Amino acid sequence: MSAMLGRVLIVEDEPRIRRFVRDALGREGCETFEAGDVGEGLEMAGAQHPDLIVLDLGLPDQSGLELIRKLRAWSSIPVLILSARIAEQDKVTGLDAGADDYLTKPFGVAELLARVRALLRRRQQEAQPSPVRRFGDVVVDLSRRVVQRSGCEIHLTQLEYGLLATLLANDGKVLTHRQLLREVWGEGYAGQSHYLKVYVSRLRQKLEPNPTQPRFLLTETGVGYRFQS
Amino acid sequence: MRLGRNVSLSTVFKRHRHAAAAFLCVATMVLALPFRDRVDIANIDMLFLLTVFLSAVWLGRGPAVMAVLLSVALFDFFFVPPYLSFAVADAQYLITFAVMLTVGLLTSHLVAQLAERTAQAQESERQARLAHALSRDLGLAMHVDQVADITAAFLDEFDLNCTLMTYASAALRPMGKSSLASLEMGFAQSAYEHNTVIEVDTLAGASKMIAFLPLTVSDRVLGVLAVGPRHDDAGRVRELRPFLEAAAAQIALIVEHLAQADAIRESELQASEERLRTSILASLSHDMRTPLTSLVGLADALAQQKSPSAQIITDTAAEIRDQALGMHHMLANLLEMARLQGGDLHLNKEWQPIDEVIGSSIRLLAGALSGRPLEIRIPEGLPLVHFDAVLIERVICNLLENAIKYSRSGTPIQLEVALQPDRLDVAVKNQGTGFPAGSCDAVFELFVRGDPESTAGGTGIGLAICQAIIVAHNGQIAAENIPDGACVHFSLPLSTPPTLAEESAP
Repeated sequence: MSAMLGRVLIVEDEPRIRRFVRDALGREGCETFEAGDVGEGLEMAGAQHPDLIVLDLGLPDQSGLELIRKLRAWSSIPVLILSARIAEQDKVTGLDAGADDYLTKPFGVAELLARVRALLRRRQQEAQPSPVRRFGDVVVDLSRRVVQRSGCEIHLTQLEYGLLATLLANDGKVLTHRQLLREVWGEGYAGQSHYLKVYVSRLRQKLEPNPTQPRFLLTETGVGYRFQS
Repeated sequence: MRLGRNVSLSTVFKRHRHAAAAFLCVATMVLALPFRDRVDIANIDMLFLLTVFLSAVWLGRGPAVMAVLLSVALFDFFFVPPYLSFAVADAQYLITFAVMLTVGLLTSHLVAQLAERTAQAQESERQARLAHALSRDLGLAMHVDQVADITAAFLDEFDLNCTLMTYASAALRPMGKSSLASLEMGFAQSAYEHNTVIEVDTLAGASKMIAFLPLTVSDRVLGVLAVGPRHDDAGRVRELRPFLEAAAAQIALIVEHLAQADAIRESELQASEERLRTSILASLSHDMRTPLTSLVGLADALAQQKSPSAQIITDTAAEIRDQALGMHHMLANLLEMARLQGGDLHLNKEWQPIDEVIGSSIRLLAGALSGRPLEIRIPEGLPLVHFDAVLIERVICNLLENAIKYSRSGTPIQLEVALQPDRLDVAVKNQGTGFPAGSCDAVFELFVRGDPESTAGGTGIGLAICQAIIVAHNGQIAAENIPDGACVHFSLPLSTPPTLAEESAP
């Protein structure tokens, strides 16, 4: 058996969905634990110290959002939300509460595994952070604040660099508009999403091979942005 | 400069007509004075009469009468010996004075009467012309708001302000941008309730409207027209009252006509909603049953296989997955349509570049677009546009999906953005057979498909959703056939984006 990918807690009340998620993750080499409601989920999270929680938002006892809020009081375990609702606002609420990524039902096994792998990989990278990040033909040296593309230095303004660094620090994670505005621009800019959109567009012009169809600085429409290496 | 002075002089003359008459008399006196000893006094008398005559023509009755009296006085004081005294040396001058006075008064009366009649005739001709224009314009009105605008423009010609109110949802409501003070609403309400014209005095600033005319068609009151003078000239409204009442009657007829047309449209709408409900059910039962039947069949087939090969299992699983996702897609479209039609659509509009949402749409459709050359043309330096990204992404996805679905595999899909002075145009084109002739408008209707017999899966919801979204953005969407294919294009209105504070140099 290959090296274990990670320990995953599945919090989902629908047994069929729980079974197929468990089977898929098990085949991928994950050790899985299961819980059917928020209370049980929090208990398991405390006892088992998983590397990742896959969380359904519609649980019988409480909203999954409650679990995230309580969990975040003491842990930074990555959380992947499964949501049956299509409204973007639900995803935004979950992400703002501290979730790391989301999947809308119905989702396929391939999508699920891709997200799980990305979140687990990020957790390992966080353990050994590297100051130099590479994507496409771009090299970012976070220690020297230098950005190069095909060997040539690219000039970024302070805010452009701040935005890029924030996205890079959260590789694979969806950051909501509000989170990015607060992190890069400051508290007062929460409603000024046009700043964010214009700056993302400028970063793409400078760093993406094809700015109209970005490969790294991805849009999560109505929700936020994600850097994906 | 000179013109400006002339204009201001004539306005001054009109405002202070009595002073102007006095000025003319004094001017005549000053001009005639040097010739006092060389010209016969009878001619000077004539000059004064001429002044009176001109005063009557230009300035009207009152000033002319004053000019007569002043002329006699000036004539006596300066021209009848002894000079600079009202005393009269020769008693025959008293006859001159009497004749001068009589002729002057008669002339001024006759001339002024003539001038008034001419003015009256001109005014009534103007009123008739404007009333005719009013009835012509009202005939073209499609909505009560337009009636309000037309009425306002019409009364503007008479230096009057107005507010048109119609009775809707159990209350009088002002149309258009105008609003009334609560006191004025009270007057309007009472004009409405008693079906009678109410005239009030201008109460220092409390009420700008001074006449409230009910809009009546065969004893039914449909609304109220409130009229007030633009300048502080309450008399103007009273003067024009018969005329205003005639105009109100015309407006009432049009309001009634429009209300009837609305009622007819409403009932047509209900009928079409009824048809829609029926077609939804028919469409749903067909479109849902087809994939469900496949799913049941596929599962049974797999179960009945004695020892299915890996290939069969993989193929069947893929088929089941496709059918299920297709149903999910259909359900999502239906829910979206229900949300859009429910009227509680909340647009989450933000200022953003259009290319971002084009990029995300293409990424969402990466699977369907594989093997299709995609030609994207987006000009540089586009302004930010105000729209709901999630909904516009849905529009672009639907258009791209349609373009793929209704063209042969391998043929290119084109997406073009063009900047117009007041809007941004986005067009999606494919190379195929295009829309069937004459169906270009109908394709936006719910459950209507360009070709009803088409084998490409679909429910005819996609373009209806697109239209609902674009209309909610005050934009436009249209379909047309182009050489070798079809094109659907939509536009979003442009306005002034918020400013972006540029950061200072790092």
